[in-house]
Formats: sequence, structure tokens, C-alpha cells
Amino acid sequence: MWRLARAGRAHFAVPCSGHEAVGAGYALALQAGVDWVSPHYRDLAALLVLGMEPRDVMLCFFSRPSDPNARGRQPYAHFGSRRLHVLSQQGPQPNHCSHGVGCAWGSKLLGDGSVSVIAFGDGGAQKGEVHESMNVAAIHRLPCIFVVHRNGWTQSVKRADQYATETLVARAAGYGIPGIAVDGSDVEAMYAAVAEAADRARAGDGPTLIDADCVRFLPNTSNDDDSRYRDRGELEALRATRDPLLRARALVDGALAGAIDADNERVAADAAEWAEAQPLGDPSTVLEHAYA
Amino acid sequence: MRELSVIEAIREALGEEMARDERVMLLGEDIGKLGGVFRATEGLFDRFGPERVVDMPMAETVIAGVTVGLAMRGLRPVAEIQFADFIHASMDHLVGEAAKIRWRTGGDWTCPMVLRTAYGGGFRGGPYHSQSVEAYYAHAPGLKVVAPSTPADAKGLLLAAIRDPDPVLVLEHKRTYRTIRGHVPEGDVVVPIGRAAIAREGRDATVLAYGMMLHESLAAAETLAAEGIDVEVVDLRTLLPLDRETILASLAKTRRLCVVHEDTVTMGLGAELCTLAAEADVLDVPPVRVAMPDVPGIPVDDNLEDAVLPNRATIREALVRLVTREVARGRGEARAYDAAIPQASSIVQVALPVEHTRLVLDAIATAARAVPKCNATFSWAGIVEHEDVVVDLDLGPSSPAAGRGTITLVDYGADGSDLAIPFVRPGQTAAVRIGAVRDGRAYVACAVDHRAVDGADAGRFLAAFKRTAERSLADVDSAGGDVRQLAPY
Repeated sequence: MWRLARAGRAHFAVPCSGHEAVGAGYALALQAGVDWVSPHYRDLAALLVLGMEPRDVMLCFFSRPSDPNARGRQPYAHFGSRRLHVLSQQGPQPNHCSHGVGCAWGSKLLGDGSVSVIAFGDGGAQKGEVHESMNVAAIHRLPCIFVVHRNGWTQSVKRADQYATETLVARAAGYGIPGIAVDGSDVEAMYAAVAEAADRARAGDGPTLIDADCVRFLPNTSNDDDSRYRDRGELEALRATRDPLLRARALVDGALAGAIDADNERVAADAAEWAEAQPLGDPSTVLEHAYA
Repeated sequence: MRELSVIEAIREALGEEMARDERVMLLGEDIGKLGGVFRATEGLFDRFGPERVVDMPMAETVIAGVTVGLAMRGLRPVAEIQFADFIHASMDHLVGEAAKIRWRTGGDWTCPMVLRTAYGGGFRGGPYHSQSVEAYYAHAPGLKVVAPSTPADAKGLLLAAIRDPDPVLVLEHKRTYRTIRGHVPEGDVVVPIGRAAIAREGRDATVLAYGMMLHESLAAAETLAAEGIDVEVVDLRTLLPLDRETILASLAKTRRLCVVHEDTVTMGLGAELCTLAAEADVLDVPPVRVAMPDVPGIPVDDNLEDAVLPNRATIREALVRLVTREVARGRGEARAYDAAIPQASSIVQVALPVEHTRLVLDAIATAARAVPKCNATFSWAGIVEHEDVVVDLDLGPSSPAAGRGTITLVDYGADGSDLAIPFVRPGQTAAVRIGAVRDGRAYVACAVDHRAVDGADAGRFLAAFKRTAERSLADVDSAGGDVRQLAPY
């Protein structure tokens, strides 16, 4: 996707390199089709785990009207699927935080035992939206899990210019809820933290904040040039220890990992080729769905 | 027939809808035990419990945000923003999210939420408890915006809003809450969103209004009715989407538009409504707007607030200006003008049949009642306006005026000249002369004693005369009467 966007064949790409274990970890800990997710825009891994088809991901990437996420109306990474229980995502970050809280509130009122994951970046976490949302979730002990992708960058602005603490986990105490600090490049650790939080939520004991430390290995989006504000060399040096894919590979047999990689390459290439060939929108449909 | 206040109607709607549909829940500041600062939710906390009537933190962003989430999840949340002045913290969720969710997902996700808020000034609330906010939100496609003015509509539109599959912003004018009472039908009477109502029928001009300004407009219309000006008042009820059909049908009838809103004038709803009328080409004269001047806030001082809020007097003035505004050339009617001759006079062209005495006498009587200064006696001690209209007829040399009466009509019939100015007789303040009728039209001149009557009043007199005469003519025509001797125009 990165290369296709840079080649001008799609409008927009959002890399998730370095963030895969956060999304995959929380999605694996949820009951697909039962629990609810308000994902971060870097949560492609979560979407794939939850069951989004690669071809649908690519329809979203190419902004085709047949994209089930955004119907050619929003750029890539604005995920959403009622079928998969993924709330429709928006541009201004992280407005979906309170939507996720409302969704969790619905779970409580409907008494269906489902939980909601609400994921956002550490840049987004500086907005009043997040404070207000965590406060409400804590007051009503709502079944939700706040997951912060803490990569230390808000597009081009470094951590120290966004918040004065090293991490965000201490904020949980301010709301009277548990906070868990996790190595967000370790998929097993992510899974365990979210599973624990989900158990707590299902038991009626309210929300949890998970501070997932991770590295954003690539620029913010395909429109960003991170060489203007950070040292790419230093970043690449972190690959050995902080790349979630490399760490996950170490958990499985090398031959199996190679086979999975090859399979994924083939699936992604097929999905991209197929999706790019799908028709663009019909201008006469642009006003459709403004209202019921 | 039972009568309720607006706030009682709202409370009844909320209670009935919560009883009918268990997905309906309320969230807002102070709406629980206190029952809301305006008491819209009074009694509902005790009746439905803290799970369905939820006191929220003082944080309008998250009130709107969780309401969006609850609605996406399938509940029917009704949020209250205590004062519309605080709603802007919710705007991102209303305009950026709720309004777009259906559209941006091609209908996969929907957001059937309601957000109620109290807006409007008039009771010394100052800049942060008085604002009108409709223009911001009526500019957000995907949202619906309703603004009920009566108790029946407050209930019926709120029921419709809660059942609507899309997000609805309900703007409640806080001054209507307790001052406006009216009949509210028992039970489940829904008022459809998107339909305006004719609050008062009339033929001379259309007022488009809503909220408290609807009631001020109705009061102005009543005053004008006594002066012979017949104003139609349209209660918009829904501001987005506008009921173009009802609006344009009214304007097609009256061809004159006055928009009244409490919101500030520039980029207010009046701009859209006037443009709607202009694009449909239904106006004979330029429209007028009665709105708050572009002040950054509504001041709390009694005199200052009264100075900026429109009211029945300013609406009346605007309407008089509107109905006396002459039709511009090229609109199919002649342009009249004030002529500055010694006894000030005005001339207007009026559609008249050849036989017209009865019709003209009636029109003079109506105009004299509308502008009593033209039916008066001047003396240096003062001007005496007569209660009765007694027309002294001057029908030519064979039947000259007797010199009595309160106003004189000069009409020499088909043999008369097209245009001449009559004398004002001593003891009177006005005289009217009908010129010869040519092709169904005649010049009508009104001369006035300038010591008692100014040119503008003479103009108003003639405008009222023309309106009445031509309406009577149209009535006879449409009734198929025998006065139909006119060339079509």
C-alpha cells in the first residue's frame, strides 16, 4: 500500500509498521462479532483479525464505492463495519473515543455482556475528548478498554511537546480505573493485558486503560516526510528489538513463518490488483445516504 | 380541550416516548433529581430511574459524543444541552460525526439521536444564556433541525425527532417554555419533520418565522389587520430541511416576503430564505429581514437587550415598509411616484373596471381606516381624525361636491382626463381623483394637506387603496361576476 500510494495509484496510505501487535493483540483477545471496536487508524492488524477481507481492505485503500468501510466517501483507514462490530471512524482524532464509550454504555444497558475496545494514539490522548470519555466510562463503570498506541510522535511533534510525562498509564489513577503498561510490540503481552481488562469489563468492574508502548517505523501517512523531523537511522536501529513482526516470527517455526509470508504476499497482491480494477463512483450517487 | 405550556408538552412527549420505547434514554446536565434547569425532565428520574435519566458531567463534548455512540449502538438517546450557548462544544460531534455517519458509510451505520437545547433571549440572560444558534447547525447536511413554537408542535416534533432514523437537533425557545400555552392533542400525535405550517392566513405579505419570533410576528399581523394589511404568517417549524413547497406556495400568493429571526442578520437563516424566494422568482418587491443586528452577544442590560431583539413593533414597521414598497418597473405594474406639488400628492396606477364607483368607495373607506390622518380635519389647535368615513362625491359639473364629508372623491368618468390633481377641500385633509379608465387601468391621485399629512402617509393611503380595489376586482373576477370588462393583464 505504501508503495502504491507513493506511486500515485491510490490517494492515501497509513502505515502501521510497528503497531501491528497492538491491534492484533487486542483483537485476538475479543470475541469477534460479539465485542465492539472503535479502532485507531493504524489498526489494520485488528481489522484483519476481526475478519475484514483483504479485498475489502484494498477497496478502502483505493477508495472505491464498493468499499464496505467508507463507500468511496472517506479516504483509507477510516474503517467501519456494522457486521464486524467496528464503529465507523472519522477524521478528527480521536472523536471515536466517546462513540466507543456510548457503544459500551449500550452494552451495559442492553445487558448483552459485550465489551468495547477504544484505541487511539498518544497524540489523540491529549485532547479533552479522551479525558471526558474516560471520566464518563469510569463514573458508570462501562465495559470498555482504552488502548493508547504510545509511539511518542504526533505526526511531526515529539512526545515532550505533547505531554510532560514519560508514559500515560498513570492517568488511569486519575479516573479511579486500573491502568496497564504493556510493551506494544509484544503481541502476547498485548493479548494478555486486553484479555485481563475484558474479563474485568465483563464482570461489571468497569474500564481499563492500556498504555501500549510502540514504535512508528514509517512516516505518519503517505503525505508525511519524517526525515524533516527525526533520524530514520535511529529508528531502523530499533527494528531488531521493537518490530512486532520480527518478534512474532521468533515465536513460530521459521519455515512456517516463511510460508505465511509468502501466502500473505500473494493475498495482498491479488486483493490490490482486484480492488484497483473495481469501478469508480457514479456521480449521480453522491447525495445518497445523506438521510434515510 | 386541554391546554399545556410548551415545557409541559415537552415533558409529556419525553415521558410518553420513554414508556413506549425502552430504548429511549435521557442524558444531560442536572436533568435527574433537579428535573433540568427548565424542568423539562421533571418527574422522569423518579419514574424511569437513574439508568434512563442520566445526570452527566458538565462536559458538552462528551454528552454529544456518547449520544452518538449510544445511537450507533441502537439506543434512542435524547441528550439535553442546558443552554444553546454551550452547544458549540458539541458541534464536532453533531456536524462532524452525527450528520455524516450515514453518508460516510453508505447507510451501514446510522445515528438516530436527538439533542434538545434551550435557545433565545428576552429575559436578561446575557451573551451566554441567550444565543440563537440555528444558522450554524442548519448548515450541516445530514442533520435535521426543528424549532417548534407551540405546545402541540413541541410535543409532536419531539416525538417525530425521537423516532427519526437520523440525528435531529431540537431548538426550544426558552421564552416559549412558560409563556406560550395552547391545545395539545391527547396521545400519540406526531408532527412530521420537514413541514411548515400556516399560522395565520393572509394575502398582502408572507412572514417566515419560528420560535418566539413567530408569536411576535403573529402579534404584529393582528395589529396590521386592523389597519387593513393582511399578513400571512408561516411557522417554519423545521429549519433543515426547509419546507420549500409551503414557503413558495405562500410567496406565490402574497409575492412579498419578510423573514423574522432572533439570530443575527448576516448569514442568518433569512439569507437562505430570501435567496430561496429570489431563485424561485416569486417576489414583486425586494424582501425585508427583521433580525438581530450583528452584535457579538446579547447584552444583559434591559435597554440594550430590548434594543437588539426584534419585537412586534419592529416587525410591524418592517411589514408596513414591505407592503407599501412599490413594484419596480418591468414587473407588469406601473411605478408610482410622489410628486412634490403644493398640496403634496401621490399617484398610483390601479386596475379598475369602467364602472367602479362602489368598488372605489369601499377602497377609500378601507384606506381611510388604515391611514386615519387622511380622513381628518386640520386646525392649528390640532388634527382631529374622524371615526366615520363620509365621502363627498365630485362627479363633474353636473354633480359637484357639496363641500361636506370627511374626504372627497373626484371622478369625472370616461370623459375625464387621464391625470389631474384634486383640491383638498377646507376641513378635510385628503382628496382622491380617479382618472379615465384606459385598458382597464386608471391613474389615481391623492392630494393631501401637507400640514396634517406627509407624503409617506399619502403613499400608504394609496397603497391600501390600490390593494383593496384590486383585490375586490379579483374577487369579482374569480366569482365570475359581471364586472369583467377589463383587458387581461
